[in-house]
Amino acid sequence: MPIAERGYAHWDGTFVERRFPWWPITRLGIRLAFKRKFFKPVFAISLAPAVFFLAGIYMSERIEDFQFMFRGRNGNRLLGVDPAFFKTYFTFDTVLFLMVMLMVLAGAGLISDDLKFNSLQLYFSRPLRKRDYWLGKMATASFFLLTVTLVPGLLFILFKIIFSGSFKFLADYPWIPLSVAGYSLLATLFFALYTLLISSLSKNRRYVSILLFLVYIFSDVFFGIFYGIFHEPAFCLLSIKCDLQQVGAFIFRVRPQYDVPWIYSFLVLTAICSLSGFVLKRKIRGVEVIK
Amino acid sequence: MTTGEMNIELKDIRFHYGKITALDGVDLTLGEGACGLLGPNGAGKSTLLRILLGFLNPAQGEGRVLGYDIRKDQFLIRRSVGYMPEDDCLIPGMDAVTFTAYFGELSGMPRQEAMKRAHDVLFYVGLGESRYRLLETYSAGMKQRLKLAQALVHDPKLLFLDEPTSNLDPQGRTEILDLIKDISLKKDIQVLVSSHILTDIEFTCSHVVILNKGKVAAQGELEALKEIQFSLYELRTKGETAGFLKGLKDKGCRVEKTEDELMKIYMPADLSRTEIFRTAALENVQIRYFIKSRTSLEDLFAETVGVD
Repeated sequence: MPIAERGYAHWDGTFVERRFPWWPITRLGIRLAFKRKFFKPVFAISLAPAVFFLAGIYMSERIEDFQFMFRGRNGNRLLGVDPAFFKTYFTFDTVLFLMVMLMVLAGAGLISDDLKFNSLQLYFSRPLRKRDYWLGKMATASFFLLTVTLVPGLLFILFKIIFSGSFKFLADYPWIPLSVAGYSLLATLFFALYTLLISSLSKNRRYVSILLFLVYIFSDVFFGIFYGIFHEPAFCLLSIKCDLQQVGAFIFRVRPQYDVPWIYSFLVLTAICSLSGFVLKRKIRGVEVIK
Repeated sequence: MTTGEMNIELKDIRFHYGKITALDGVDLTLGEGACGLLGPNGAGKSTLLRILLGFLNPAQGEGRVLGYDIRKDQFLIRRSVGYMPEDDCLIPGMDAVTFTAYFGELSGMPRQEAMKRAHDVLFYVGLGESRYRLLETYSAGMKQRLKLAQALVHDPKLLFLDEPTSNLDPQGRTEILDLIKDISLKKDIQVLVSSHILTDIEFTCSHVVILNKGKVAAQGELEALKEIQFSLYELRTKGETAGFLKGLKDKGCRVEKTEDELMKIYMPADLSRTEIFRTAALENVQIRYFIKSRTSLEDLFAETVGVD
């Protein structure tokens, strides 16, 4: 292989101070996710529930046109766009499951690949703080999560206003945009930190993917088993899905499914996020220091 | 930085991994020119590089790299320094151009310029033709070149190379060494090469720092060090040598015996070679063959570190 096919020339440009030094990391993470096998179809499928709910909003405003679809039922009630409608979308089993699937495909390798291929030392030999690296990875996961939470939520409000032709909905529920933003950010923060936590535990992306999936699924399975045996609703705290649903019900001012204070579920989610922060702080460093 | 200023100045640097002392009062002053950081495994070479880069904070001591404080100005140091780590480093799913430009961008280069520069640097290290190939498909030699490219992309003033020829076949090793020599001699980039392969250092560097057990065992111009530190003589003898060897050791010499009974005597610079003959005469040993040997870095290393 020939060396120095072209001579070395010094670079005479000037360095720039970026306001968001983590942005190149996020941009690369998003780009690499779309290159992954199966990611594009899963990403498209994850948007399907939002499209379905948007259709629901349209139908609720044109209920007479669609009456034939609800023979014997109260169509108005079924398609009523109220806080419960939002809560249903955001805590919908399928939506939560698709968020996990998105993280399995786009988030599993975020840190584990860097650990496996020793790239952390390349990052930290640059003028980059731990915080910037962490934010870059968080933002990558958040990008995908927000496209199935915040973006559809805001679109629901917008389309409701457009289809109804009035601001009555906002006048009736002025706090809805805040609830949408609040829940979206909470769910995004939780899933992003949950993903980074598990991604930092192994150098093998496959194990991370399996673990991301299994922890979520089995937390719900265990809840189902214990609830079935003891009929104690407090076991819902074991399930990540139920915890998100409990907190979601509080944020959208809807009666929660289980008779357990929402704050306990919130504390469980916060504990997982704190654990993630603690582990990431220990795991993300330029060199592996073995004491 | 003006000529005559020091690139690296360290004073009493100490670092511990738990109870294990990695660096024990390292004092170091390095100016211009390629410098080799030598030492046996566990001598503290990589730890020293990591402290210079700000990955690790020394427990004690102070230092400056390119005039920047190693404790306070780590960002400025990392912007002006290129680092080629020992391990294979890559990001799966990327090609060499994107990879190199990415790290240029993270160094603070504007995106477009980082991309343009990545092409130039990849051509320079000999990866021009394969710059669009996925990194996972690269050979060991290509990965080494890639690491060098990412270290050069932001045009550093100082380049830290950690075991740059590890895992390379002889051909790949020669090519990387040629590149390092070219960079250090013609490109105004100061190079600090950490290695335990003595011939690599001898080929690329004019200065050398030898670390042993976390301390600087020797440092300075390579040629001068080889002269000043000791003289090396090779001899063959007849007769009982135990007393002769003891006599030489008492005078501060280090003696090695090769398999074919050749004696190598490392003699302190302040000792005259007549001492060898005087001791031989005293111990009734005949010297049948005597030659002043040309000292290599290997000899210097063996003498300084105390290993064969």
